[in-house]
Amino acid sequence: MAFDIDRYTTNSAAVAWADLDFDVFDEHPLPESTLRTLRYMCDIEYHTTCYLRDLLTTPSHNEPEVGAFMTMWNREEFWHGEALAAVLAKHGVTVDYDVLKATRLKLGWKDRLDPVKQSIMGGLVGNDFVAVHMAWGAANEWSANAAYLRMAELEGNPVLAELLKRIAKQETRHVAFYASQARDRLKDSKKAQKLARFALSRFWGPVGSGVQDEAEVTHVMNHLFAGPEGRKLVRDVDSHIAKLPGLAGLTIVEDSLEKRGIAA
Amino acid sequence: MTNRASATTESFDVREYARTAQGSHRGEIDVETLARTGLPCDAVRLIRVLRDLERGTLDRMRNLLVTATHKDARVTAFLATWAFEKYWIADALDAVLDAVGADTSPLTGPPRRTAAERAERRGPIRRALAGNIAGADIVAGHMTTGLVDELITQAAYRRLGDAAAVLSSLVSTLVAVKDRHIAFLAEEAEHKLAASARAVRLARKEIARAAWPIGAASIPAADRSFFEAYVFGQPGGRAAAARIGEGLAALPGMGAASGATVVARLVP
Repeated sequence: MAFDIDRYTTNSAAVAWADLDFDVFDEHPLPESTLRTLRYMCDIEYHTTCYLRDLLTTPSHNEPEVGAFMTMWNREEFWHGEALAAVLAKHGVTVDYDVLKATRLKLGWKDRLDPVKQSIMGGLVGNDFVAVHMAWGAANEWSANAAYLRMAELEGNPVLAELLKRIAKQETRHVAFYASQARDRLKDSKKAQKLARFALSRFWGPVGSGVQDEAEVTHVMNHLFAGPEGRKLVRDVDSHIAKLPGLAGLTIVEDSLEKRGIAA
Repeated sequence: MTNRASATTESFDVREYARTAQGSHRGEIDVETLARTGLPCDAVRLIRVLRDLERGTLDRMRNLLVTATHKDARVTAFLATWAFEKYWIADALDAVLDAVGADTSPLTGPPRRTAAERAERRGPIRRALAGNIAGADIVAGHMTTGLVDELITQAAYRRLGDAAAVLSSLVSTLVAVKDRHIAFLAEEAEHKLAASARAVRLARKEIARAAWPIGAASIPAADRSFFEAYVFGQPGGRAAAARIGEGLAALPGMGAASGATVVARLVP
């Protein structure tokens, strides 16, 4: 199904939480391990800019529809960060812009060279590389969506659950965009399919790996996806990815759990 | 430069700005009246130039983000909202063009061909490499050129309001949107320039080679000459250009020469 970009941009809004009673956290504070996962999610949302940067170095944003989506998506993700920061603030955890800056500074040379690497790849393989980005984005948004919904269910706090569901609802629209883009671009090019399969199977990691400490990645994966229920959700995400043209049989999200020794 | 003065006394609240971002302006456009009265040809041409400039925001975003500017979370928080607002400005301009039955396609034609202009059009690889050598001090230059750019386009919107009374309500909204961009960029430029002599040197270099407004290097040469003549060619426009130059000159370390460079490029 085609993605309706005009409808998406018109309806794009900052996720709302003013109507949610965050004072319940005074009486029923969230446990430490949940806060740790929320902190991770919050950072990732704020770091969307870094991912946007990589996308912008490829030819993709010259297409009006893609440019429009990226503008709205980047802002929506920023607001997810703000919403999660508000929950953390109720627990005395401050996420300020200076701390985020410190995380990005820590990335050092790898981060500095990424735009160069991406541009060269983008220049060499051109539009096929855009297909890789879109498939990658779809995998990220599918797993983010699963993570938020799983968190809502696990925690059982109605206020947190409502907020996370609102965030997940926006992620669903992001999924729709990335998946429809990926599908269209992959189905027309065998080369793009090969490239996407290679890139995802070799280099894909859970959203935030590479930016966050590996210990944090493992904590979040364990917290959300350990056990049979979690494994089932992860397999669902993998099955969505595998339905994209040329990606049949990929199990990248499950592989990332295995790699970290997360029990099924 | 009243905005700059107020920005220095009170720190710009990025969160408040993000919370109150301006989305679609279509409700403010009186399509029926516009269709009836039409717009002068020059106003239509100016709108097309401004629309193309606002649409070019993602290119600007890319050029900023491939350097250390992407590491400054306060700046990227601003940029997320700024890009959103500029998207909707371009949308409003498209709606106006549509209403008067004007051509809405992007302007096409040969660009200006000078060495300086070619440098402006350089791609992300060279920018990323140069930006990485410059490091965090480059952010001051980006804030400074961004400020000058917003002041220039704001002057252009004011000119549009003078030329087409039917657009006065929309124009005053757009001028107000730009006021906040200006307030943030002025504050950031001032702080960052005051903090580092190297930042000042880099900013001066950026100013010395910039084509105005930012993104103009992709606008056809004929339309740029029109823009400069129409916005800054009259006495009122020359005065506006002079104020922009003075504002820039007053920033820490920038000096009269930088201000004069900008004015010389604006006034035909």
